[in-house]
Amino acid sequence: MSWIIGVDVGGTFTDFCARNNNSGETLIHKRPSTPNDPAIAILNGLDEIKLKFYQSKKLQISRLAHGTTVATNALLQRKGGKLALVTTKGFRDLLEIGRQVRPSVYDLQVDSPQPLVDRRNRIEVNERIDFTGKIIKPINKNELVLLEKNIKKLKNIDGIAICLLFSFLNSSHEILIKEKLSKSFPNLPISISSEVQPEFREYERFSTTAINAYLQPEVGMYMKNLKHGIHKINPNIEVNIFQSSGGLTTITRASNFPVRMALSGPAAGVVGASETTVKTKFRDLITLDMGGTSTDVCLIQNGKAELSNLRDISGFRIRLPMIDINTVGAGGGSIAYIENDGLLKVGPISAGAVPGPACYNLGGVQPTVSDANLILGRLPENLVGGRMKLNKQKAINSVKQISKKLKISIEQAALGIIGIVNSNMTRAIRAVSVERGHDPRLFSLMPFGGAGGLHAVDIARELSIKNIIVPRSPGILCAEGLLLSNLQETFVKTCRTSLEGNFRDIEASIKELKNRAQKWFLNEGQNVGKKSLLLFIEMRYVGQNYELSISLGDIIKKYKMPPKRNLKNLFFNNHKKSYGHFDPQAEIEIVNIRLQAISELKSKKPKIKMFKNKPKPISIEDVWFNSKKSHKTNVFKRSDLPPGFKFKDTAIIVQEDATTLIPTDCELYVDDQLNLVIRTN
Amino acid sequence: MNNKIDLISLEITWNSLKSIADESYITLMKSAFSTNIKERHDHSTAITNSDGKLIAQAENALPAHLASMGGLIQHVLDEYKDNLNDGDIFIANDPHVAGGTHLPDINMAMPVFNKGTLLGFVANIVHHADVGGAAVGSMSGGLNEIYKEGLRIPLVRLYSKGKIVKDIQRLLLLNMRLPDERKGDLNAQISACRLGVKRIQELLSKHEASYLNTAFEEILKRSKLRMQKAISKLPDGNYTFTDYMDDDGLNTKNIKISVDIKKKGKKILFDFSKTDGQVDGNFNLTFNATQSSVCYSLKALLDPELPNNSGIFDAIDIKIPTGSLLNCVAPASVALRLNTCQRVVDVVLGAFISVLPEKVTGAANGANTSAVFAGTNPNNGKRYVYLETLGGGMGARFTKDGKDGVQVHLTNTSNLPVEAIEMEYPLRVEEYSFVENSGGAGKYRGGLGIRRIIRPIAHKCEFSGVGERFKHSPWGVFGGQPGKPGKFYLKHKNGKITNLSSKSSSIYTNENDAIVMETPGAGGYGNPKKRSKNNILKDKISGKFSNSFLKKYY
Repeated sequence: MSWIIGVDVGGTFTDFCARNNNSGETLIHKRPSTPNDPAIAILNGLDEIKLKFYQSKKLQISRLAHGTTVATNALLQRKGGKLALVTTKGFRDLLEIGRQVRPSVYDLQVDSPQPLVDRRNRIEVNERIDFTGKIIKPINKNELVLLEKNIKKLKNIDGIAICLLFSFLNSSHEILIKEKLSKSFPNLPISISSEVQPEFREYERFSTTAINAYLQPEVGMYMKNLKHGIHKINPNIEVNIFQSSGGLTTITRASNFPVRMALSGPAAGVVGASETTVKTKFRDLITLDMGGTSTDVCLIQNGKAELSNLRDISGFRIRLPMIDINTVGAGGGSIAYIENDGLLKVGPISAGAVPGPACYNLGGVQPTVSDANLILGRLPENLVGGRMKLNKQKAINSVKQISKKLKISIEQAALGIIGIVNSNMTRAIRAVSVERGHDPRLFSLMPFGGAGGLHAVDIARELSIKNIIVPRSPGILCAEGLLLSNLQETFVKTCRTSLEGNFRDIEASIKELKNRAQKWFLNEGQNVGKKSLLLFIEMRYVGQNYELSISLGDIIKKYKMPPKRNLKNLFFNNHKKSYGHFDPQAEIEIVNIRLQAISELKSKKPKIKMFKNKPKPISIEDVWFNSKKSHKTNVFKRSDLPPGFKFKDTAIIVQEDATTLIPTDCELYVDDQLNLVIRTN
Repeated sequence: MNNKIDLISLEITWNSLKSIADESYITLMKSAFSTNIKERHDHSTAITNSDGKLIAQAENALPAHLASMGGLIQHVLDEYKDNLNDGDIFIANDPHVAGGTHLPDINMAMPVFNKGTLLGFVANIVHHADVGGAAVGSMSGGLNEIYKEGLRIPLVRLYSKGKIVKDIQRLLLLNMRLPDERKGDLNAQISACRLGVKRIQELLSKHEASYLNTAFEEILKRSKLRMQKAISKLPDGNYTFTDYMDDDGLNTKNIKISVDIKKKGKKILFDFSKTDGQVDGNFNLTFNATQSSVCYSLKALLDPELPNNSGIFDAIDIKIPTGSLLNCVAPASVALRLNTCQRVVDVVLGAFISVLPEKVTGAANGANTSAVFAGTNPNNGKRYVYLETLGGGMGARFTKDGKDGVQVHLTNTSNLPVEAIEMEYPLRVEEYSFVENSGGAGKYRGGLGIRRIIRPIAHKCEFSGVGERFKHSPWGVFGGQPGKPGKFYLKHKNGKITNLSSKSSSIYTNENDAIVMETPGAGGYGNPKKRSKNNILKDKISGKFSNSFLKKYY
């Protein structure tokens, strides 16, 4: 019996989803994270699973897929390394100037964060490559000697980033410098921009490379510890790490390119969400992953999430393909307060995990969304699993601050908090969908995370969404997504060519990328599963500043460039969808070629136990849906609800890791995969 | 508690209105043709009530557009009040007769009716890349009357009862240099108007019109009260400040901008009577532009989260004689207004130095430094025009240094990547860096200006630049020293330098002469003697300041 384990390490909890690769049996487990060394929670968790489900019998693990916030946190908390940055003469301030914009138009006191490399440690080299890739100022030997001397002068360096202009066209100078420095500083990790992100636009490339170098010491150490710990259990366990782009990679590559893990955790949830509805008609989804401080929203169309190529994480710019997840500043811990205009507002300030909502009884006194849910009877006082008992009196005391000021009842105030936080989320989801060219009414809503299910129906109604799907285990969907993910690697090359021009360079580039991908399959795509090579061509109208990515499908078997006319039409369609129009006359150019290599990993579908049962409510609670009176509402245990179960009254459905609220005027149905399908009227 | 509307519904309705403005904003951005909108986001959207009072603005709407949209609708009401129809769309850009602030900003507005009664308007504004006139881009300096700056559009109907007024459309497009792009952008504005009206009508299916009208009133009242509350906390008194702009690029130098603020209770008056009269060069402001700048300053100083609507205007009184630099009359030219707006912000901040010591900053770079490079690309024989606006220093603050090399106050547009410039144009960027020693010394120092060196490759290149604070340095506060002024110059192959004026037009150069642009730094905060050793050490180690500079001031 061999098991595959998905482990998602979050700030508060570490989630496990284990699946037997023969029987499909699935175990889930949740335990507190160990932020100082996240590997401890993983290793202890594996022991706990054995103890909990198998009375300490040996659990044969073949593979562990891991999503981690270690890179994100190192960036947020600025725990990365002290760096030296080598750059082209005249441009050492470029990383600090960035795009010369400030984060808040009206607030004079807020700045973008200080750059990751101190100015003194940014060293210029007299070299220059022009826009065709031609060397117009070669590096001479003395220059390299001087550079080495300058870096030696710097104290306590943990790593080096090499970022030169036009290195995406000609990487020879970066490589030359790397070779020289790796001899002189054999113990320092070196990131070079032509390897980390070989694409046009220097600031984004430099920033991504600097972040990579910054994260290397911290993430590298973590990966080393984790590998060591896992291999102590069994040296044959394969360990893969989840990348923001939606696939797994090897632990070595993750240590070399930690910037690719920036959205590791949340991105896995999207894979889980898509897999949840594989056999249903709900393939267009808006996911709603509601946590304590924020909610992640992602649009999935026909089972596929869109990728975005640019994102700021705590003010630092990363340009790499990442699953397009948007964060809304509203969660269970969002604080309600009365603004100077006398109106009730909710968030974006959050009580976080500490002190947390007032009802957590950890010292928080300000009213939060969770406090309002508890007062309204929507959130049970005793969370199933017995991890925590909520304190209703503390919740009431906190919300009283609001109800007194507004001279309304405590329930009115609580309903107000929920109504406002829902309207904030609705506004954000609407903006995200419209911006990506979608009409939210055509999607279904999938809440996950602990609190998503409490708000989903209200939000769906605001967005005129008909169906809400709550997955089997909403609290560990990320861990489950990890189980189901494949190995993935992206290869990219910039080769700017007019669509009317000669395609020699394009063809040569595709060939080169394909060779690199084949090598990767040989060295790292070690599994025997299906392999695919997805080709994307990034095009734009001449003069535009951003490209549209055109998918040309799988080229693993055979590849032939489609006729230019077809490329044009694909571009027009994409342009119309993204921007509402296209110009059949204007000149089009190709900017990048991107090849995504996927090597499928073996993973068994979960075994769903079919059972017949007439579920009985575990209790009946007074729940407030309007401010006039409460409504007697059945509380069901999720595990009691059999496939095919239908229910037409209000209900609360509780399970270890999440709570789902069925308000008035909806219908509940449990499908054969044990998802809750809620239809609004 | 209000007896007509409960406060929670009000907040949720307000959120819905903002959401409509946001959705219109995104729709406009997505369906527009030009990069100026798609990527630089030089546009805004809003909803007004039936009196033309601004109720809600999109999250990312620009402060410079704030007063302009309401201004347009005032004119609609004055001129068409009894002749408004469902499906009408109004268009205008003229600063003197239609509420605009400069010609490239084209305004549109569409009325929303409920059962035949006017409920309000949706409005939007877009900076178009060209509206005709003497030079490409309609933003050229040195023009002495508005007729030269581009096509003046008075308030007219572009759509009447849902039908396009073709004659108007043809007239507009014929006078603009890139008619296809303009048509695309105008269509984007029309889509945004229609979407806004549709969404408000959906709101009307959930709520009575009387409810929405009450909500509008409440929003205005509450925003005004919020602003008044913030104003009330200021000590009563008279505050004044004066600063000078370098010149107007034609014949006026040292242009005085002066404010006298009278604050009593919850009332505040900004009196600009002592400011100089309007000038020949195109740096004049219409009243709306001045109003936007004053509102920006007050919001930034008192309550950055304050919602943008007419409630704020209602809390502030502004007095400016007609014919002033800040309340110009036809045919004053206005294209480069943003430089003057930036100075109005500096002057208002300056007046509050003694009152809000924790909020004010040293003067920022005080300009909207812009540069245009044009010529024929030797690689493909095509004409090119490359426009860039450069940031500079941000003023030092109560607890920290000013940010180096950044856009300040009313502008926040990004730069173009060096690699994009070189691939697109026959130009080589030789340096993009901070100007050492340009931040004024102080307990906290001012931000550094930006230096950009550009060399034309293998062709004759025409350079035009507009800068400010090349002569009148950005001042410091509480003993902080002034920042270094900006400059433009040519660096010849032989190492010699030719200085250029702050308003340079049509300077021809070639590969032998690199063009150097240095934007102003910013003023310091507090006595330099009080600067911490640690911060002085940082200035030294970073190389942002020379040893002689540090020795002189610390």
